[in-house]
Amino acid sequence: MKKIILAIVLMFILTPAFASDEAKLAQVQSIQSRIDDCGARILNANKIEKRVIFAYSEAEKSGLLEVDKDLTRRQVIVYSGAYKFVDSEDELAAVLARKIAIAFKSYDGVFNGSLKSMQMKAAPKKFEIVADKIAVDYMVKAGYNPLGMITYIQKVYPQKRYDMVSNKNLTSKRLAIIYEYIYTKYPYFLVNNKYLDNVHYQNFLLTSQENRRKLQEKIQNGTNERVKYE
Amino acid sequence: MNRFARVFLILVLLLLSSGKSFAIVEDELVKTTLLDKNIKKPYTNLNYNYEDTDVVDVRLSVLEDIKNEKYLHEGQIIKFKVVRDVKYKNKVVIKHGTIATAKVETIITNGMNGIPASVIFGDFNIEGVPWSKLTSTYEKFGLDLSLMVYPIKWALTILPPTGTFTNFIKGGHVKLKSKNVITIEYHPNWN
Repeated sequence: MKKIILAIVLMFILTPAFASDEAKLAQVQSIQSRIDDCGARILNANKIEKRVIFAYSEAEKSGLLEVDKDLTRRQVIVYSGAYKFVDSEDELAAVLARKIAIAFKSYDGVFNGSLKSMQMKAAPKKFEIVADKIAVDYMVKAGYNPLGMITYIQKVYPQKRYDMVSNKNLTSKRLAIIYEYIYTKYPYFLVNNKYLDNVHYQNFLLTSQENRRKLQEKIQNGTNERVKYE
Repeated sequence: MNRFARVFLILVLLLLSSGKSFAIVEDELVKTTLLDKNIKKPYTNLNYNYEDTDVVDVRLSVLEDIKNEKYLHEGQIIKFKVVRDVKYKNKVVIKHGTIATAKVETIITNGMNGIPASVIFGDFNIEGVPWSKLTSTYEKFGLDLSLMVYPIKWALTILPPTGTFTNFIKGGHVKLKSKNVITIEYHPNWN
């Protein structure tokens, strides 16, 4: 009798733990599936003839000494720290398209792309902007709204004081360059702006007034010179 | 006012106040520079079927020389011409001399340590050939000096800071002359 009671008590104690594990697994599977679908859509729509795969990691961000898997294994890792900011399919596409651009570029050139990967590591600021621009193209071809990239970056990336000695560009500068790129190549999305009532896009408009004024001057002067954004 | 009318009024007021409470800031730049233009929706590529493996090369050359990527801007349309008849199953599908266009998608400037400049051309358009049947993009690189620079840099690391001097070696600019031929792919049976 005692054994039966003990078994019943144990069953009641252990069942919720299994159930919670299963629920968590189902949640991770659902996120992974969402990432896979969005990633494959970008790859197919852009006729990317090289293999790139996707993985969701529950870690907050990559480890300090961890190698960049976008470059070495052509594996796009989406960390939970980045995923938690994703509010829409456009924003998820923005996260993936940037990493796909890097992974695809790592196939170029000699030694199966090893040299190109080294160049991308050696000039991170340059290729950060390149990835942003290529990602905008990828998003548009795959039917996503590229303004989603602006709202995502606006939410996620902090604003440093200077970028002279940093390996990253000032976020405001990146946003201004992306905005100019969309303005030049895909003005349709600005004219038919579905993000105007998005609080994060409005915050971008609020904080980018000076940079947009500079772009306006460039357009009015009809020059093709690069604008020095802040 | 009867009780129902009062409740209805309160509900309507609650509903209105629960909506977006911030004033929408219009984008002045778009209002002043884009609204009067005829802007088409960019096309997407979602109805694909990559089952077929047939592929034919299309050789193109620019109509006007490109001396340097600095003379280009993103979104610019560049004209090419087809330099050789494109045949599929012994039938000419694109005639020699046909004009093709491509858009300058992204310009990557040259960088330190011999990193070359490059220009990504995309949106290839040849009369009578749907975009979906052509290569998506073609990237033209300048002279890559990094293969020479990195070994020198590493060799000089034992004499600091001489290795950093290689930072000043910049990669080549993009040049594309009308005599140069670029090759893109034509997939006759893709959607």
